[in-house]
Amino acid sequence: MAEIKWPEKRRLIGTKVPRVDGPDKATGRARYSQDINRPGMLHALILRSPYAHCRIKSLDLSEAQKAPGVRAIVTVGQINYTAGKKEGMPGWEFPVSVTDVGRELFYHGDEILAIAADTEEHARDALRLVKIEFEELPFIVKEETALRRRQGPSTVPGKDASNVLAGGSRTEGDPDGAKKAAEVLVRGTYGVPVITHCCLETHGLVAEWESPRSLTIWCTTQAVPATANQLQNFLAGHGITCNVRCITHHMGGGYGSKFGPDIQGYLAAVLAWLAKAPVKLFLERDEEHLAAGNRPSATATVTIGGSHDGTITVFEATTYGTPGVGRAAGVNIGILPYVYDVRNVRISTDIVRLNHGAARAMRAPAHPQNCFITECAVDDFANAAGLDPMEVRLKNLPQNDPAAVKNTPTSFLALRNTIYTDEIRIAAELSQWKKKWHPPGKGPTKGPWKHGIGMALHTWGGAGRADNDVFVTISSDGSVVVQCSTQDLGTGERTVLAIVVAEVLGLDPKDLTVVIGESQIGRSTGSGGSTTAPGTAPAALVAAINARDELFRKVAPKLGMKPENLVLEPNKITDKASGKSFTWRQFCARLGMDTVRGQGNWIPGLSNLGVGGVQVAEVWVDTETGVVRLEKIVAVQDCGMVINKLACESQVAGGVIMGINLAMFEEMIVDEQTGRMVNPDFEFYKLGGMLDMPEIIVHMHDMPERGVIGIGEPPTISTAAAIGNAICNALGVRVPRTPFSPDRVLAALHAKK
Amino acid sequence: MSQTHPPPGKPGISRRQFLTGTGLGAAATALLRTSEAPTQANQAQAPKTVGFGPNPVACELLVNGARITVHIEPRVTLLDCLRHYMDITGPKRVCDRGTCGACTVLLDGRPIYACTMLALEAQGKKIETPESLYEDGQLHRVPAAFVQYDAQQCGFCTPGFVMAMKACFDRNPNATPAEVEQGLAGNICRCGTYQQMRDALRSLCKKGG
Repeated sequence: MAEIKWPEKRRLIGTKVPRVDGPDKATGRARYSQDINRPGMLHALILRSPYAHCRIKSLDLSEAQKAPGVRAIVTVGQINYTAGKKEGMPGWEFPVSVTDVGRELFYHGDEILAIAADTEEHARDALRLVKIEFEELPFIVKEETALRRRQGPSTVPGKDASNVLAGGSRTEGDPDGAKKAAEVLVRGTYGVPVITHCCLETHGLVAEWESPRSLTIWCTTQAVPATANQLQNFLAGHGITCNVRCITHHMGGGYGSKFGPDIQGYLAAVLAWLAKAPVKLFLERDEEHLAAGNRPSATATVTIGGSHDGTITVFEATTYGTPGVGRAAGVNIGILPYVYDVRNVRISTDIVRLNHGAARAMRAPAHPQNCFITECAVDDFANAAGLDPMEVRLKNLPQNDPAAVKNTPTSFLALRNTIYTDEIRIAAELSQWKKKWHPPGKGPTKGPWKHGIGMALHTWGGAGRADNDVFVTISSDGSVVVQCSTQDLGTGERTVLAIVVAEVLGLDPKDLTVVIGESQIGRSTGSGGSTTAPGTAPAALVAAINARDELFRKVAPKLGMKPENLVLEPNKITDKASGKSFTWRQFCARLGMDTVRGQGNWIPGLSNLGVGGVQVAEVWVDTETGVVRLEKIVAVQDCGMVINKLACESQVAGGVIMGINLAMFEEMIVDEQTGRMVNPDFEFYKLGGMLDMPEIIVHMHDMPERGVIGIGEPPTISTAAAIGNAICNALGVRVPRTPFSPDRVLAALHAKK
Repeated sequence: MSQTHPPPGKPGISRRQFLTGTGLGAAATALLRTSEAPTQANQAQAPKTVGFGPNPVACELLVNGARITVHIEPRVTLLDCLRHYMDITGPKRVCDRGTCGACTVLLDGRPIYACTMLALEAQGKKIETPESLYEDGQLHRVPAAFVQYDAQQCGFCTPGFVMAMKACFDRNPNATPAEVEQGLAGNICRCGTYQQMRDALRSLCKKGG
């Protein structure tokens, strides 16, 4: 077979194509997992720990079991129960006195049990009838407290002596010598708090057993086949051998927090098993904040130094962050300092475990934190050196790797300096940087309002992954069905597949039927690391080419033609030998009773990895009230070959807005006295609305020669840092922590005086 | 349960009936001025007020032109009634307490949060859900603009935004972009599609942006 390449002339790829499922989604006709209602379906709710740390002293379910409408109750102790388990006897057949009494709960929101009832109202009533006593235990919910009590004892799960774990360290070059030699040396502390994913469709699923051997779940997940597998393995561990099918036709956000069935998946499957009825179990908004994942915080004390000309020679950072009861670090010591080439480096990090919900991957894990830490420090260095921070950035970019330039000319290593330099130039033009930048605190004013502008850079991988299968079926009526088990987090994945297949077959993307989000279709990888488009688009290209070639092979002989003489153009197939041509439908009709099926798997050479990105923020800050008003954000982003420019630009603007939320509004606040999160809602956990949004200018730096690269994560990384730098540029003083709320701005101004 | 059916064209439940039905009657009575407070004697003579619940009662709603009757407990919100009892799932349950707007429906033409109204209170009123904007293959111009400008990603907030925007233009066909943006201020999008929504609403504003 000839080497498969992206078409030279692209009719659809890279253009603006409205998403094929757009009308259904915009009018509420698209069925999300949470919209699935099954005949005889029960509603389930979860009872959760009211304390940050406690032990179950006693548990009595007798009244709850008798409550109206209750059909099944199962506890977390029961589904986790393995000790002394007998062959073929699931843990939930053991009494709660054995499985749950004495069990420790480690955060406000930790799961205790779930109840399924005929209506949600009845399930809610029954939860109140659970008689449960707790023994309260010591907890720590503030990072500073845990760091003070570094010696322990631990208040979090696991066998560690302390809440604080060493997260590793790294030294390169001679940081001490470089600090001594530095002509400019600045020290600062910067930080971002824990924020939560806030998926609008909360985590959960509908579980229905068709038979004791077959379970279907409609689950909101960004890893369809993996979720089915995990649930299947869990059930096998309880002696139930079955097939699990996962369906996720539409999903209301994931952002990294929806990679498996989670505990509510296990609970729902068991409740449905016990009740012999379908069960719907979705978290409520407070539960979503408490227990469905969050992004680790990060705080860094940075010493950065270099020469008067702006060359950074040393970067030293002592950092910490909390993953709650989890173990994931918020700081990635491997990629700090972020983006820039610094020779003398010393980094260390502590993982501070606290009694609140566990961290999960969240849109570019560790990158927004690392970016904020680095980019604030780089700006402070530029300010101390009296230089334009854009020039300092240009000066300290990593060079294009000479070996890569020779061997892999489209790789990020070979192009990084070129990409960043081009993107900085474009961002500077779009933001009028040269005209608008001024020394910190010396910009235009309007009464108490001061103007500022700031820049930040970011990077991400976004490689394609193997193990993605796409199938293209062509029928004699000319219809085309594209299938892949993958999911659409909101990225427009259905449309990505439609564009690629329609490009090859000369059709309109709207003419195709795209079926995704069903685990039994085939292999697909989870939507993590911005890998879905680069993983599935190459597979779709191969599948479409295979289907087209198969169609030619099957139909050409019936027409007395040779397949190699057939040429496909939009809605036209021509035989070069005879000059005869057919419409797509006329040609497919010759299939008769036959159909054509082309399969494609991901192959290398059509996707790539490694992107840059530059963002510029322009702000006005009221020095009397501390209010920050965002004026404009410019985002310049590359992602190799753009497939759908419309959705791509939307992704970038959306990433910027998530970064705006990190910068301006979001913070999980846990009360030190009670150990409870005080803002598990949308009133006090603030997300920006329409009126909070500045003008956002997106420029796609299209590089089709590089192949497809993921776009989901990179554009959210550097926004908060750019805004932070713009505020510093306005005030001449650094506001060290997000969110940049009025109190923090005023405190920073006060500290300056 | 015929006594619970609303008279045609009138709201199905009075404030007094609601308060009595949900056990808040005592609290409401305490709030009355002394002169209005019923004495023991005239209370006995007063016509019997019909109470609701806690058991399910019939609830007839007029949704997208169709009359649908279900039996629900009086505490069920309009949103849950639509989603759980009528299988009308265009309005989404996101915050369930009136902060995000994902459950926005039009009640006699006015946008409301369906999560903060009891279903029984919505009886006798004309309810429009997002599904009504895409009937017989005809896509209403507001969601059509959302599609054209890609003003949606995960799309879970989108039906709510669409209804809020439609209400703006229904109220004032000459609404300016700034006015429409004000009208969307009660809705939240997590994916961050505000920029594309601006493009969409500007394309719909007659006087341009």
